[in-house]
Amino acid sequence: MTMSATPPPEIIAQTENTMVLSMGPQHPSTHGVLQIVLEIDSENVVKADPEIGYLHTGIEKSAEGLFWTQAQTVIERMDYLAPSSNALCYALAVEKLLGITDGIPERAQTIRVLIGELTRIASHCVWLGTHGIDLGAISIFFYCFDLRENILDLQEAVGGARMHPNYVRVGGLNGDLPEGYLARLDALIEKIPGRMRELRGLLQANPIFQDRTIDIGMLTPEEALQWSVTGPSLRASGVAYDVRKAFPYCGYQTYDFEIPTRPEGDAYARFLVRLDEMDQSIRLIEQARRRLDKPGPVMIDDPKVALPPKETIALSMEALIHHFKLISEGFRVPPGDVYQSVESPRGELGYYVVSNGENKPYRIRTRPPSMYNLQALKGIAPGNLIADLVVMIGSLDPVFGEVDR
Amino acid sequence: MPSTQVPPIAGAAIDPPSLRPPIDDAAIERVAPSELRARLEALKAGGYAMLLDLGAVDYLGRAPRFDVVYHLLALAAKVATVAEIATPARVRILCGVDEGQSLPTVSDVWKSADWAEREVYDLFGIPFDGHPDLRRIQMPHDWAGHPLRKDYPMRGPALERAPRPAFANKTNVVAGSPPSGRTLEALQEQVKRVREGRP
Repeated sequence: MTMSATPPPEIIAQTENTMVLSMGPQHPSTHGVLQIVLEIDSENVVKADPEIGYLHTGIEKSAEGLFWTQAQTVIERMDYLAPSSNALCYALAVEKLLGITDGIPERAQTIRVLIGELTRIASHCVWLGTHGIDLGAISIFFYCFDLRENILDLQEAVGGARMHPNYVRVGGLNGDLPEGYLARLDALIEKIPGRMRELRGLLQANPIFQDRTIDIGMLTPEEALQWSVTGPSLRASGVAYDVRKAFPYCGYQTYDFEIPTRPEGDAYARFLVRLDEMDQSIRLIEQARRRLDKPGPVMIDDPKVALPPKETIALSMEALIHHFKLISEGFRVPPGDVYQSVESPRGELGYYVVSNGENKPYRIRTRPPSMYNLQALKGIAPGNLIADLVVMIGSLDPVFGEVDR
Repeated sequence: MPSTQVPPIAGAAIDPPSLRPPIDDAAIERVAPSELRARLEALKAGGYAMLLDLGAVDYLGRAPRFDVVYHLLALAAKVATVAEIATPARVRILCGVDEGQSLPTVSDVWKSADWAEREVYDLFGIPFDGHPDLRRIQMPHDWAGHPLRKDYPMRGPALERAPRPAFANKTNVVAGSPPSGRTLEALQEQVKRVREGRP
């Protein structure tokens, strides 16, 4: 701790022909608190340097001071548009360290897929709505948020909270689906295809939208890999890398779905890939829904990690002891390290988890897809207009809770 | 019935990766700092085109103290279908580095290492030689200390509050008479008069 106070660094120096402009961190189209220091020649961007860290909350540090189960609550706050993806990835990583991956009940796996895909649609709804607003298409925002609202209602039904349900737990799920959930899900499945047609109808063939996005923010496959871009942004450059297919988890290999790709690599291709991805998510949700008619356990039958059923606590001394131990000191995880990734709505979300055998994580390193995707802005922004920068940020879909953690 | 809790293992914090149960998530290699760059360049030439992630872990009390962890993914830089990609290989490179030591940068091999190395520098204090722009990234530029080190307090240092900026000092409270002429003393006098029933 010997850093002395230093003056603010000169990020970009201006030259004779260019000037320096700071965009953000309080700019409506930066989707959060992002500052971009721009060197501009009239309206053309010569160099763009995104400055992040305005939302740094030390989540990785906080998690080191919490029990394995408690850490999940702060981890869910990273990507606040897709909290269940974070929780799922973390739970899968800890389950691998515990060696209980094979013991997760099938129904829990199916519900995890269902929740993950619902989250994907909800997250893409926010992206599409705000991306539209950035370009002046206001009405699509309301259609998107209406659909997201329905999904958040379902999220509230399972976890009690709209934004951060904390439903996926190490060993399974917090509880079974509540009564009436499947009926509401069926109603939503009925509604989504029509709503998707409306969303496409509002923007896909819109000439203004096409003018603003086609050939903007070109990303070749080589560049995308250089910048470690993953998710829809990578697939819009033609590389069909999807963690759900490459490293299946939760039984994704047993579902019938496709990975939409586009070869163009521009902002419009990223828009189309995300819309196609929402259609595939609906397919996955329908398949998962059909498997949910059969009841079954949703938590692993292992008193070491799962809380005993409440009704057994008054009857069995072992159950009481396990309950007390799990609540007061949590469970211990065997020492080791593991890298686990899932396909979050933004790309490959990974956790590198290190345990030293204690009841708290030793280190949780996140692979934040948003951060790597956003970094590519340095490569694709130069040579474009400032107005197109807004399109590029929107098409990369960063979430700053995750970029800054 | 015996307790189902796993007992803590003494000294496990020294090197958890060596104690790990067999998990099939990636091939693991440990590389010395002097060979790091050559090894990473060779891996990249051998098809590991994507640097998935670059992070660090602080094993306080061990020598070397830190592990810098590189996750690589073997993905070809060309348009490819799901079937062509199948299950790409992943490799994890662990590189031990002690306090005060630095590592060579790989930001010229993979552009994405730029921010990742800045983050490791910011939160762990491990410098990277040859990095073009090694500044803090998450913490403020004049922050002291590296928060993700294990000897850094969980709730941060107890910092002195910064003095109020001059413009925030209200002149009518600090000194002199305000434009209205009602100083603090005059106000107190007025309150006293009212309480005592004087006119």
